[in-house]
Amino acid sequence: MSLTKSLHPDEKYKAGKLGASLTKIGGGIAAVFLGVSLILGGMQGDGWKRFFHAYVIGWSYIFSILVGVLFLIILHHLVRGRWATAVRRICEAMTGAFPLVFIAGLGFVIPVLAGYDNLYYWAHHDAHDPVLNHHLHHKLGWLSPGFFAVRYVIYGVVFTAMAAYFAKKSREQDETGDPKISERLRIVSGPAIIIYAVVVCMAAFDILMSFAPKWYSTIYGVNFWGSACVGGFAALALMVLGIQRTGRLTHSINAEHYHDIGKWMFAFTFFWAYTAFSQFMLQWYGNMPEETVWYKYRLFGEWQWVSIAMLVGFWAFPFVFLLSRWTKRIVPSLVFFAVWQLVFHWLDLYWNVMPQYDWHVIASEKVAINAGPLMGNTALHHVGFSPVDVTVWIGLVGLLLAGIGRKLKGNLIPIKDPTLPLALAHENL
Amino acid sequence: MATHDEHEASPASIPSPGPAPAPSPAPGPAPGTEGDGYGDGALYGILAEYDTPGELVEAARKVRDAGYTEFDCFSPFPVHGIDEAMGIKRTILPVLIFGGGCLGALGGLFLQWWMNAYNWPWIVSGKPAWSLPANVPIGFETTILMAVFTAFFGMWILNKLPQVWHPFFRLERFGRVTDDTFLLGIEARDQRFDLEATRKLLADAGAIAVEPCYLEADPARRTMPKWITAFIVSSTAFALIPFAIAAKARSSTSTEPHLHIFPDMDFQPKYKSDTACDMFPDARCNRGELPGTVARGLLHADDTLYRGLSDGQWTIGFPRQLDITEAFVRRGENRYNIYCAPCHGFDGRGQGPVPQRIAATGTAWSIRNLVDPAASPAKMPNGQLFNTISNGFNTMMGYAQQLPHADRWAIVAYVRALQRGHNATLEDVRAEKRNTMPAPPLPAPPPPPPPAQPALSPAAPAPTPVPAAPVPAPAPAPGGAR
Repeated sequence: MSLTKSLHPDEKYKAGKLGASLTKIGGGIAAVFLGVSLILGGMQGDGWKRFFHAYVIGWSYIFSILVGVLFLIILHHLVRGRWATAVRRICEAMTGAFPLVFIAGLGFVIPVLAGYDNLYYWAHHDAHDPVLNHHLHHKLGWLSPGFFAVRYVIYGVVFTAMAAYFAKKSREQDETGDPKISERLRIVSGPAIIIYAVVVCMAAFDILMSFAPKWYSTIYGVNFWGSACVGGFAALALMVLGIQRTGRLTHSINAEHYHDIGKWMFAFTFFWAYTAFSQFMLQWYGNMPEETVWYKYRLFGEWQWVSIAMLVGFWAFPFVFLLSRWTKRIVPSLVFFAVWQLVFHWLDLYWNVMPQYDWHVIASEKVAINAGPLMGNTALHHVGFSPVDVTVWIGLVGLLLAGIGRKLKGNLIPIKDPTLPLALAHENL
Repeated sequence: MATHDEHEASPASIPSPGPAPAPSPAPGPAPGTEGDGYGDGALYGILAEYDTPGELVEAARKVRDAGYTEFDCFSPFPVHGIDEAMGIKRTILPVLIFGGGCLGALGGLFLQWWMNAYNWPWIVSGKPAWSLPANVPIGFETTILMAVFTAFFGMWILNKLPQVWHPFFRLERFGRVTDDTFLLGIEARDQRFDLEATRKLLADAGAIAVEPCYLEADPARRTMPKWITAFIVSSTAFALIPFAIAAKARSSTSTEPHLHIFPDMDFQPKYKSDTACDMFPDARCNRGELPGTVARGLLHADDTLYRGLSDGQWTIGFPRQLDITEAFVRRGENRYNIYCAPCHGFDGRGQGPVPQRIAATGTAWSIRNLVDPAASPAKMPNGQLFNTISNGFNTMMGYAQQLPHADRWAIVAYVRALQRGHNATLEDVRAEKRNTMPAPPLPAPPPPPPPAQPALSPAAPAPTPVPAAPVPAPAPAPGGAR
């Protein structure tokens, strides 16, 4: 028994060509699937509407995964965590994909800026009708294409800078072994986590919640963050496993670390359900039309089956099974749940965005929309699944892998971090 | 590093409290002959002291490998890896906690079903009496509560706590176990116990001291003192008395008055409203206004300001006490949007959300259009408008209770502004803006359209609530102004 352990002498902790091959694979996936998506999207004949909706969902997916991983880095520094030092360099490589992700996001921000009005209702001229959209009218100062683009750039710069700073300092410590760097990062992580929280919430409001611009929910950003962290930790588990499969880090990362990643995934699975229910219950109880309309389209008609699938698949099933210590420690079982949650995390984003897809139908029935949600016809809201939804998603995940591959180089573990010996000897009681 | 947790729940390895087990015939020297243990009773076991937690873990591993089962380790804090070294199985506590949590969830839901849906059905916020979303938060709390109770009390029970006394307490060395030492004790009842061999095993494992422990010679002193038992029994009995009184009161009747613990709060020397009082001839404790007096601030003598009248006619302008400024009209807008817009609509056309939702149920209910010529200053003077706001008209209730008179006048001013806006001409627009105006919207409100007219041009505001597809469109009845 010992509280510390040094790096195993046979440990392969250099990335070598791993990053380059990941970039190649990811780039290949991205090129093929985004190419197919462009063809499928064009064939829809709906003025690229389906394609752009799928693109925003796919983009939010890769963005949210990095949001979840960045949370672990900041929190780990903030609380002087130990176990996560073993996987922190992998997290840093993952968040290194932020610049590429934000460049990919320009794929929908630029069209909105250029006047594309088939994506967000608030960008449509109907939104400016003061009679039809009385309470939306007041939000249009914030929800205007120009300001939207400006905020998008701010989010991009903040996240990129934050991720780059933590990664750069960490690599600096590999050279010098200076413990003051850890101290410095801990001090920085305090303000960083506040900025992080604000920016995550604002980004969720702008990019996802504004699909329902007349709706109100202050917990929306928190709910998005919960879902994002489920995705982030699930992706981290798969990433670590993938790296170990290449024969690297096989001595340093063991069931104890998987267990802790699994605990986070479990915690956020419940946190997501908790915030989602909080959001639902208040609106259900208050029963105000401008709030319940959002749920009306999700709890009746075709979408109710997706909602039930979310409740069972994203919460009940993984919650009950991840409760046990063993499902988190036996790697194949953890991997099963990681893949499962990654699929449902995508479904969560899909469920958040797509019920608003048919707003043009509603908008043409202006009387109905003006008269209030109780008159809206749920039969007009179809799940309307399309292959392009999935191909864009896979393509963007490929892009994410390519972005991660670019940063997967040098040491895969912070070799001179003062907490590394503790992390390597980490054991869960 | 390590936190105190459930792994120490190992029934097999915890020495049982209370009366000592019948000591096995110790093959070693007779009790009391060694001189390094206390007491002169039977041999209870042997205690070894180690310097560090690491040595303790190593010693535990050796003892386990030697085949001992009746032994335990004692340390000031939880020692990492000790469970594995001692060969302790993982505790079943998590399973119990899961069961407790499930029971809590079901119990919480049953509680709410029984109370709110079965025994005393109670409608809250228009929801059904048995309504799952409303029950989730309480079900969540009871789940947590029962899971935590199971964890807490389960840990005590599995560890056989509270344990008020243990034979090792007789050794002075044991007192330091909560402080700075690490001990390993083997009980004499273990199959493999042999004083000399065991002592050697412990010493070889690196013990800095090994010491046998003897029970009290007098069996009477090994049991819990009688007065402690008596105290526990009697205090438990006393604690049940209030429950017994409550149970008796619920199941019996009595002619005795209530017991008043705070009589001066229960019987206050004052009259409550609408109660009898023999001090006055009319025997009422509520005293009305005295004839010929007016309460402070209630003298509403000015007919124009308070009733909208001048010389017995509806007044045309505004009361002289009010300054008609932009702020005043803004105040009117604010009050209008709160109190009037739900029916009359933000634009005054009488198509607020209330009539629209009524229309959705298939009932026609028309609201006065405030911006049509019938409500113009010529047809409906300011005073009349003020009077309607104050006292209501037909099914519209009066707002004098909610709105001070100045606010009601402000609404009058804002309604006039709405009328002006709806009937504006190009001359009303500032000169520099006139060229930027889009095509003029429909100036006058159109008559009620035929019911089937789903698609309207984008610029036209909805003239009449036409329900969407599922509701059969009602024929809008003309209906008088309300």
